[in-house]
Amino acid sequence: MGTVFAESHTKFSEFLLLFINPLTMMKNSFSPARLKHRLSFGMMLLLAVTIGAGLSSCNSQKKLAKKKAEQELAEKTAKAKADLLAILNDDGKMTLEEKEFKLAAVKRMNLDNQEIKDLIGQAEEKLNRERAALEKKKEEDRLQREKEAREREMRESGPYRNINLALDAVGNASDISTANMKIREALVNFAGDDVPVLILISKEGEDSDYDKPTTIRKYLEFLKDQKKSPNKVLNAVFDANGKIKELELIKK
Amino acid sequence: MKIKAFFLILAFSAIGSQLAAQDVLSPSRKQAIDSLALEKVRDLSKYISIIGNKDTPWSEANRVIERTLELFADGAMMGVSSINREEVNYYGVREYLERLMALNYDRVNIQWYNIQYISDLERQPDGKYVGVITIYQRFEGVTKEGLKYVDVTKKDVTVYVERKTTQISGRIIGFWDVMLGDIRVTETKPGN
Repeated sequence: MGTVFAESHTKFSEFLLLFINPLTMMKNSFSPARLKHRLSFGMMLLLAVTIGAGLSSCNSQKKLAKKKAEQELAEKTAKAKADLLAILNDDGKMTLEEKEFKLAAVKRMNLDNQEIKDLIGQAEEKLNRERAALEKKKEEDRLQREKEAREREMRESGPYRNINLALDAVGNASDISTANMKIREALVNFAGDDVPVLILISKEGEDSDYDKPTTIRKYLEFLKDQKKSPNKVLNAVFDANGKIKELELIKK
Repeated sequence: MKIKAFFLILAFSAIGSQLAAQDVLSPSRKQAIDSLALEKVRDLSKYISIIGNKDTPWSEANRVIERTLELFADGAMMGVSSINREEVNYYGVREYLERLMALNYDRVNIQWYNIQYISDLERQPDGKYVGVITIYQRFEGVTKEGLKYVDVTKKDVTVYVERKTTQISGRIIGFWDVMLGDIRVTETKPGN
């Protein structure tokens, strides 16, 4: 091996001298065979140098690509972490849909990072809870809307419609005698003059606040005196004869 | 004995916690009570106008006086002023209303306006809420001879609001009892 290297080194030196100094070439015994041999050796050397350079360039490109991929992964991981923390720390600024969209995007990254996986788990748990609460709220709202619709139906087109019309007729009466006549007509619907009338002024959960209870006679006279009908029927309790024995009103 | 004392303490703490719960009214409940008290003063304004109106039949005016009295706390006084004298006279509400009904004018027109709180309803140590509502009253009286008296009076109405309960058809109903107190005259000017 050492001999081959020594011989090659000698040949390479001669080859360089040949190109560097044509006089040297002239001085050396000049034969076509020797020249051919030297040329082919030179070509081989040139080829080796070229391949070597190419290999070196390829290696550095791979390194660059690897570095770039690592950088991209780090950026992706940082973004995923930031998104997941934003989901976990959100106090209502983002909608549930936004948070679900962000989480889905992070999951699609398929990051092999334990911290990210843990955060995904926590975020999924949080969003599941929020989704359940939202569904519950939606259901409650739907039931409330249905209840209100039923009550409205009762007030506007059901048995309450006539009572509301009777109350309004007293409030809108143009003079005392008309109002008195409307009062008499309205009272026909009630079990007696002393039927209790409750006026709901506020309701919060289980807490219902009423105005001071009055009687239907006094309430109808109040409508006559004030020339207005500010309340509508919220609920009415009927007796066996179909007469109202308790009336609950609410502000229009 | 110890057991009795324990139950007594327990009962008092339950009452205490209920009272404490009443202390804190949500803004919407408080607003509802504020509006209710303001509404009672507006109702009074209408009643006074009906009683003072010479076109109101005597029986109607007397009925309305009874309704008006229901708005007031016992012993409430009503201030009456005139541009023709310095002092303000105070009458019991019934007397004031009966005098109003019997005023020696051919036509009387009373209007209340700018009805608003000057002192918000505040909870007192006894649990009642007390506030002051101010009103402006324009009084116009015309004699048979066509002489016209007009004044504008600023009055302060003290309002008391108390949470009470009653039983209706076996149900316990919580309601707010609004009672009007003294009505004081703070300013009297000639009107036009």
